[in-house]
Amino acid sequence: MALFEAKRLHKRFGAHVVLEDVSMRFEEGRLSGIMGPNGAGKTTCFNLLTGRHAPDRGSVTFEGRDITGLPPRKIARLGISRSFQIMNLFDDYSVLDNVSVASPDVRQRGFSMLGSFGEAKGAAEVLAQVGLSGKEGIRAKDLSYGDRRALEIGVALAARPRLLFLDEPTAGLGAEGTARIAALIAELKRSITIVLIEHDMKFLFGLADHIYVMHWGQVIAQGAPAELRANPWVQRSNLGALA
Amino acid sequence: MILSVESVVKQYRRRFKPGFRLEASFAVEKPSIVGVMGPNGSGKTTLFELITGSNVPTSGRVMCMGQEVHGVKASQRDRLAIHYHQSYQVRRFARRRPDFLLEPAKSDYPMVHLFDEPQFNTQDGYIGFMLDFFRRLRGEGRVVFLCLHPTERYHLEILREVCERFVFVEQGRVSLFDGLDAACADPRVAAYLGGGSIA
Repeated sequence: MALFEAKRLHKRFGAHVVLEDVSMRFEEGRLSGIMGPNGAGKTTCFNLLTGRHAPDRGSVTFEGRDITGLPPRKIARLGISRSFQIMNLFDDYSVLDNVSVASPDVRQRGFSMLGSFGEAKGAAEVLAQVGLSGKEGIRAKDLSYGDRRALEIGVALAARPRLLFLDEPTAGLGAEGTARIAALIAELKRSITIVLIEHDMKFLFGLADHIYVMHWGQVIAQGAPAELRANPWVQRSNLGALA
Repeated sequence: MILSVESVVKQYRRRFKPGFRLEASFAVEKPSIVGVMGPNGSGKTTLFELITGSNVPTSGRVMCMGQEVHGVKASQRDRLAIHYHQSYQVRRFARRRPDFLLEPAKSDYPMVHLFDEPQFNTQDGYIGFMLDFFRRLRGEGRVVFLCLHPTERYHLEILREVCERFVFVEQGRVSLFDGLDAACADPRVAAYLGGGSIA
């Protein structure tokens, strides 16, 4: 049984159909990728998988349990985290606060309007994981762009998810920043199931075990990177040159 | 019979005078990939709109899997035929009668897929995935229309690789050919391709 499975999802907004008959399976311990041109429906697909939108038809299951139509907070509590293409950080709060506020024990304790949230159990560990040790006290807005991307992943990890969805974690990064995030994800992959939307194909082909190619709101191809790369048109493209 | 376009005429009017006119009569019996070519403004997109039911013919009818497309509830017409305009899908339908008077679609997933000038770029490798997708749809018993205005040599390569039949639209007239060579043997098609200096 797959850890997470979406079956025949359909979604439309008014006259626009955004997803048509999308099925995906994410196996435990593997990194799955979703790629596709702009407007292919990748982010909408993520929004359906993580509960931001309910599908018009189709089902989503996590560990065999039907979670179709559950609100995002309930889905998050089951052990599913996500990051966003457009960063969602508390800019005026410290790195430590950003991670702590997302952790389950701080959430249980409740929030105070005054001062900081206090350090959550495991926050230091998460910051070490994403390479931000020593930057705990810096306000999120004063971080470099690459550090902010890493912090985004840290916030998603703070909830101690079993399944992590990452929406274009390298968006806006240069070669060096991308290499850093790639190393971070390669490390995370050993302990957590990951689903990644990515534009940078070199990045995705290097990390993913299985890739879904989306276009026109549908899955037009899927397979292991080696299988996708075997296509003669892919061989002729820039993608074929990535080995 | 998957699709039949039966004596369809679309007559546009401009200030009470007849304007552009499209005439089409053809059938696609078997699952296949059909290439669609023709100069800009010849009526290719209008033809696609008439097949999906987003545009209403002046006369004639379009039958898909035994159902008259324009007699199916507008909200369900995309289960018969679907029009992909570059990257998005066109889902605005013209209706002459309210939905509750029309019949439901008998299919759940579109039987006819019309791709209107998909953006092919040899650099990114997506062409291969798209062509495999077209073949998969045909393998599932569906009909794929691929409208391509060949401006590069590889566009013809794509048409030759995947399409078994061709529709050529010129000045509102629609002709059907078996194979690219048969199409190229027609002087109008030859002139059209030669005009682009790629054939």
